[in-house]
Amino acid sequence: MPGLNASLYIGLSGLQAQQSALGVVGHNIANVNTPGYTRQRADLTSNQSLVEGQVFFGTGVSLNTVQGIRDRFLDLQIYRETAKQSGATERYSGVDAVSTSLGDTSSTGISAQIQAFFQGFQDLAARPEDSALRTNLVGKAQTMITGLQSRYTLLDDQRNSADQAVGSLVTEVNTLTTQIAQLNQQISSETTPGSNNDARDQRKSLTDKLAGLVGIHVFEESNGGYQITLDSGAATLVSGSSSFNLQTSSGGVALDNHLRVEAVMGGSVVDVTNGIKDGQLGAKLDLRDNILVGFQRQLDQLAAGVAGQVNLLHRTGFAADGVTTGNDFFQSGVANGASGIPTTVSAVTFYKGMVNALSVNAAIATNPTLIAAAGVAGAKGDNAKANAIGSLQSTTGTVDTNGDGVGDSGPFSSTVGSLVSDVGTQSQTYKAQSDTQQNLLSALQTQRDSISGVDLNEEAASMMNLQRGYQASARFLSVINQLTDQLVNQFGK
Amino acid sequence: MSIRTPSTTQSRQALLDLERTKERLSLNQTRISSGNRITRPGDDPTAAAAILNFGDSIQANTQFVRQADAAIGFLTSSEDVVASAISSVERLQELTQTGSSSSAAEVDSIRTSLLSLANTQSQGKYLFAGTQTQGTAAHPLPFEDAAAPAGPINYWGNSGSITLSVTGTTTVSTNIPGDTTFFGAGGQGSNTDLFKAVTDLRDGLATNNTALITTASANLKNSLDNLIKVRTDLGGRQSGLLDLKDTLSGFNVTLEGLQNTQQDTDYAKAATEYSSDQTIQSASLSVMARTNKTNLFDYLA
Repeated sequence: MPGLNASLYIGLSGLQAQQSALGVVGHNIANVNTPGYTRQRADLTSNQSLVEGQVFFGTGVSLNTVQGIRDRFLDLQIYRETAKQSGATERYSGVDAVSTSLGDTSSTGISAQIQAFFQGFQDLAARPEDSALRTNLVGKAQTMITGLQSRYTLLDDQRNSADQAVGSLVTEVNTLTTQIAQLNQQISSETTPGSNNDARDQRKSLTDKLAGLVGIHVFEESNGGYQITLDSGAATLVSGSSSFNLQTSSGGVALDNHLRVEAVMGGSVVDVTNGIKDGQLGAKLDLRDNILVGFQRQLDQLAAGVAGQVNLLHRTGFAADGVTTGNDFFQSGVANGASGIPTTVSAVTFYKGMVNALSVNAAIATNPTLIAAAGVAGAKGDNAKANAIGSLQSTTGTVDTNGDGVGDSGPFSSTVGSLVSDVGTQSQTYKAQSDTQQNLLSALQTQRDSISGVDLNEEAASMMNLQRGYQASARFLSVINQLTDQLVNQFGK
Repeated sequence: MSIRTPSTTQSRQALLDLERTKERLSLNQTRISSGNRITRPGDDPTAAAAILNFGDSIQANTQFVRQADAAIGFLTSSEDVVASAISSVERLQELTQTGSSSSAAEVDSIRTSLLSLANTQSQGKYLFAGTQTQGTAAHPLPFEDAAAPAGPINYWGNSGSITLSVTGTTTVSTNIPGDTTFFGAGGQGSNTDLFKAVTDLRDGLATNNTALITTASANLKNSLDNLIKVRTDLGGRQSGLLDLKDTLSGFNVTLEGLQNTQQDTDYAKAATEYSSDQTIQSASLSVMARTNKTNLFDYLA
């Protein structure tokens, strides 16, 4: 039979255990709105019994562990989907930013401006003698070129802004991986496995952030440390207590002078520019190097088609004086024709840079009478060339879209149409992807919350329980105290 | 058993739903205020491309209507000239019957006026000069009297035809070369040459040369036939163009209708969606406010 002193200790253990457990409840309540916080539970266990003969006497309660209620696999899944979600959202906003301008279906759109240019030739065909119409045609050509170039510049701006983001994102990634590695260190050195809940929570919220920035795969090692690699597996970012930095360097001509992203592992440097698929960084790189470039390429091909086809006809026509011939309507600094323009539709690395290099032949811009409307020499009223150039707008096979040097498109308008539908489809796809990922992520988070989230009602209930337990223990102590008093002071009076 | 729904779950889900409702509200608002169902290509890529396609066709048809108008302009002017020439020739035919040596002066003035008709300009170009619409340095006019007033009247234009595209595939010739019109099938100096006939008539009347007058009379008949043929040709081309214009304009109305079905906001639908989203929004806001109030802590003393 335990003595009165032993009973005092039982009461004390009750007080201490309830108080500690209340502390855990308080911690939960305090962190109700902390992102990534995992609710904790105090594990109370009864103490070892005292054995007297056949009788086991309890010795009170103690708090063994404070346990985080978490599902590790759910966490890993959330990291993966977070990266995909932020990748899709970033791609959507990148494409969306250019879609209104590229997909302009009104009279200021690319398609309408190209058509206006060719209609200028048709107008000229009606009155080739009219110098006002010639000046007007030069104006329409310049409007068309400006229209193409402003779209091209918009795409360039978007690519550059993505490139600027790459630098700062890499810095953020490095900060996060360093912190995660430090937390890995703390977690793997804990004495009781699973006891360092708050370090795990911090690591979770940092890894969530990291997944938003860059696509990652996360594995949990047996000692509790995270091993983090890029989603393509091209490089390791965190392994146990060490982290490996990303860095940027100039990508040179191959990347249009944009930044190359490299992973530094030990002494070796690995180019991972194409090894990051998702997260903001992956999406920015994809926008910069693939998506927006694709739109630019289509504009280049279109410009090469227009310039090449018009020049081809124009150089065999005759100017207003009926004598001058052999002039090109457009001139530009790239490609291979006599004046720097493909003389027929031919492949020159997908005509890269065509839009920016394009301009109206300076001689024609200053002297529009040089525009060759006539197909034969010496006849001012002849309009054969103007007619032929005017009808180019409905001719098929004028644009080389696959770089094989042979025109394979529909009319110019259908080339613009396919650009518009390309932009639209991509924007729609990424929007849908982003929505789907968001739904998935939200479902996963709800699932995670239902396991790990703090429910205030639940905390209130356990707080009441613990309060009652504390009160009862205190009451028990006071009873034992009275008994001791009875024994020491009142006994034998 | 009940599933735990911690406080954060509720607020996150409610926030996500609210954001989506707001996004739909703003999309429908843009649709209503702009009148366009498609505010960016991503809303409906296929329709965006179709709208563009319809727009291109409309713009092209509008241009063809303009081309047809330009062609009609030249054809009408040419027809007016030919009509005047026809009435002059008819007067000349009267004079072959009733004329005397005193009529020679009138015939000469008709000859001059016929020459200036042949040299008519419209919108900066000679109508009856083929493609040599502005003459050359040596011969600024398409018809010139080689040795005024004796003649012959020479043609310095060419037989070029000025065509305009009026649809993607068809073209129309907007002129009739001067030699065809005034020299006829036989060419200069032949029995279909109007200027030769009128010169002969003038000279025949002046010298009272009956044989010359008779020949001139017969040749004038040939020229008149030729002019009437030319006039019919010009008229026929114009009526064809007018039909084409009607067709193109009608086609454009159809195309615009099709474009509008793709492009325009369905106001009834947009407004209904808008008001239903508004209801959803205010309902979720008030439910959110209530949910946050119910908590066990409120009941603990």
